[in-house]
Amino acid sequence: MISSDTQIEDNLSQNNGLAIINSKAPFSSDYGKDALDVALIFGSFEQKVSLFFQGDGVYQLIANQDATLVSIKDYLKTFSAFKFYDIEDIYVCQQSLVNRQLDETFHIEDVNVLASVEFGLALNRHQHVLRF
Amino acid sequence: MKTLAVVVTTPPYSPLTVTALSYVETALVAGINVIGVFFYQDGAMHANENISIASDEYQAIAHWQRLQQQYQLPLHICITAAEKRGIACDSIDNEQINKAFTVSGLGELVELTTRATRLVQF
Repeated sequence: MISSDTQIEDNLSQNNGLAIINSKAPFSSDYGKDALDVALIFGSFEQKVSLFFQGDGVYQLIANQDATLVSIKDYLKTFSAFKFYDIEDIYVCQQSLVNRQLDETFHIEDVNVLASVEFGLALNRHQHVLRF
Repeated sequence: MKTLAVVVTTPPYSPLTVTALSYVETALVAGINVIGVFFYQDGAMHANENISIASDEYQAIAHWQRLQQQYQLPLHICITAAEKRGIACDSIDNEQINKAFTVSGLGELVELTTRATRLVQF
């Protein structure tokens, strides 16, 4: 059992700013791009922001995709700029990858693959959450 | 003092907007300091003066307007989201924009988030 009451309290007492949950596939809606815009603005205002990928949102991280093939602006390319915005905490839900038979090959580096409980605990360390 | 900020991403004709309005009004009536509502994604459509919803349906825009007047509740729309949805934001006195709303950018969302004890998204 990973989560004890003490650990949950420890998590809540930390303020890691904003968590953005990405839950939608990249090219069937604007959600991924809208979430990216929010993340980059928080980064440029030097506010702490972490990114979480869950459900169909994990498709946003999968390598070798080309949005221009379906005439969409390739906003996923901008993910490689996260480090310039000090966005370093990026988490992906392992179970969501498994459910979709995706391996852990991402188009950006330093992505943390977390089991469901750890994913939830990491989310819990944030004061605010936005979901797209 | 504890502060609340709200993000609305649903359009004025969405039942989810009714939930957002009930939530915000209940908070205001309870004396909670609601520092502002930020309208993002389809939420930006609330500021479009040309939207006309049948009179026997829920009038979300009129209710936001009422809360803004009664409680001086700041209502911010995201300019990029608004322009993408046909609301021209090139001038302040544009008749297409509902006067209850302030045209803002995502920077305003950063501002609200950093000032808020709690942020709630609809």
